[in-house]
Amino acid sequence: MADQISPAHADLWVRGFAAAINDADDHLTDLDRRSGDGDFGTNMVTGLRRALAALPEHPDSPGAPFQALSDTFLSHSGGTSGPLFGMWFRDFAKAGHGTPALTLAGVAEAADRGWATVTRLGSAKVGDRTMVDAIAPAAESLGRSTAEGLSLEEGLRAAAEAAEAGAQGTSELLGRKGRTSYVGDAALGAPDPGAVAIGLFFRAAHASVTDGADGTR
Amino acid sequence: MRRQFVNDPEDVVPEALEGFAAAWPRHVRWNREPSYVLRAEPASDKVAVLSGGGSGHEPLHVGFVGRGMLDAAVPGAVFASPTAMQIRAASLAADTGRGVLHVVKNYTGDVLNFRIAGELLSDEGVRSDIVLVDDDLATDTDDPDGPGRRGTAAVVAVEKVCGAAAERGADLSELVELGRRVVSGSRTLSVALAAGAHPGQSRPSFELPDDRIEFGVGIHGERARERRAFGPRRALVPDMAAPLLRDLDLGRGDRLAVIVNGLGATHDLELYGLFGEVKALLEDVGISVARSLVGSYVTSLDMAGCSVTLVRADDEFLDLWDAPVSTPALTW
Repeated sequence: MADQISPAHADLWVRGFAAAINDADDHLTDLDRRSGDGDFGTNMVTGLRRALAALPEHPDSPGAPFQALSDTFLSHSGGTSGPLFGMWFRDFAKAGHGTPALTLAGVAEAADRGWATVTRLGSAKVGDRTMVDAIAPAAESLGRSTAEGLSLEEGLRAAAEAAEAGAQGTSELLGRKGRTSYVGDAALGAPDPGAVAIGLFFRAAHASVTDGADGTR
Repeated sequence: MRRQFVNDPEDVVPEALEGFAAAWPRHVRWNREPSYVLRAEPASDKVAVLSGGGSGHEPLHVGFVGRGMLDAAVPGAVFASPTAMQIRAASLAADTGRGVLHVVKNYTGDVLNFRIAGELLSDEGVRSDIVLVDDDLATDTDDPDGPGRRGTAAVVAVEKVCGAAAERGADLSELVELGRRVVSGSRTLSVALAAGAHPGQSRPSFELPDDRIEFGVGIHGERARERRAFGPRRALVPDMAAPLLRDLDLGRGDRLAVIVNGLGATHDLELYGLFGEVKALLEDVGISVARSLVGSYVTSLDMAGCSVTLVRADDEFLDLWDAPVSTPALTW
């Protein structure tokens, strides 16, 4: 089991995330139809497909795959959720630049910064039924795990569980930001697709250090 | 059934930009990927003034690129914000080292992508700041968490005046202050007689009965909050002007610039008639119309309708308004 995220792990993480979004396309699109305009899944899949094509073959740092992901989302989406995901990935790119490997503390710091970035730019708080409802519990979990000295695998597993629980919790929330704010309680009962995607992001992080134990593929 | 001169609807924006650049080679050049329009002869040693937003509002913003106004414009897809990377690239291309002013109409996507671009630029050591244009009185609410008023035709006045001040050497913070002052003294109301149709679509974005107008309409094909009875123009003009006067707290002795703007499919014959009536109404209450602009500058595809914008005009504003400008859509 890896105790740090190497460039190859980061590559696996991003590819695993793309595959998970691809598998969940119909589900995400269906969720977005209930809360927005129904293009979330397709936009994410399209963005990730472009990002996969732009991934460096031999990433020189664990930040490089996230940089490709971020640049692609900021280059091809003039909407709102795409650019916010682009800025979320960007904080992981920044955390991973100039270092051979990311520790659990490094991931925790990236998530904390990403949380601040998305909150600042999207002006959404916890409880507004957005991606922040999955980001916040994941970031808090990562902070706790780091403080308690958990292993990378344990910390990422706990973060994935926290993000997924946070995403599931959005089913009970009324949207106040983004397009969801226009449809009112018609979206109740279904989780926010952006929050679900954050759950998949941390699940992919966990899988990257367990499936590819030595970071090779 | 609406018919249009369109090949593949997907290609409408890049094909138009290609044609635009070809038509105005001495004024502008177009960078295809990422897409932005720059002056043919970039300025040196001045703050760059840049604007952008969804396409479908032509001649806004690309038509205002040129000496005395914008250094660059960044067009998105039809009614969609440009991407942050487009804005970043255009800003880097236009920056002369003195920073970049972003003139942004208040829409969620535009604001987000310009703010992100500002953060990307800041990381690269390029200073930028935003003047947010939010003049549409129809969207004024008391909700502090709401999106606020939309940005419409007042953006032309902001681009003209800030463009002129930048040409004279104003620094970034002076331009921000000037732009915000113009915005705070500007209000607009728009009405539609018929919605526009997206490229390749045969139907307009909403249907309006013959005896109704859409009062307080936006520039993205969305419905207004209110439908009113259609009537003669002389009945409509006071309905549009009165709320603007009230909101700007205008009275005897005040001076204005007035923009009467066509929304895409309304003829100059109608617009000049409207302007004449707006001016007479204002002068009746002792307000002086110091400058005017009449024509289709901020459109909503082929929407039939008009907007009336009032802008408070002090001596500095008038001096900058009168400064020479040479762009495809505005020249004096």
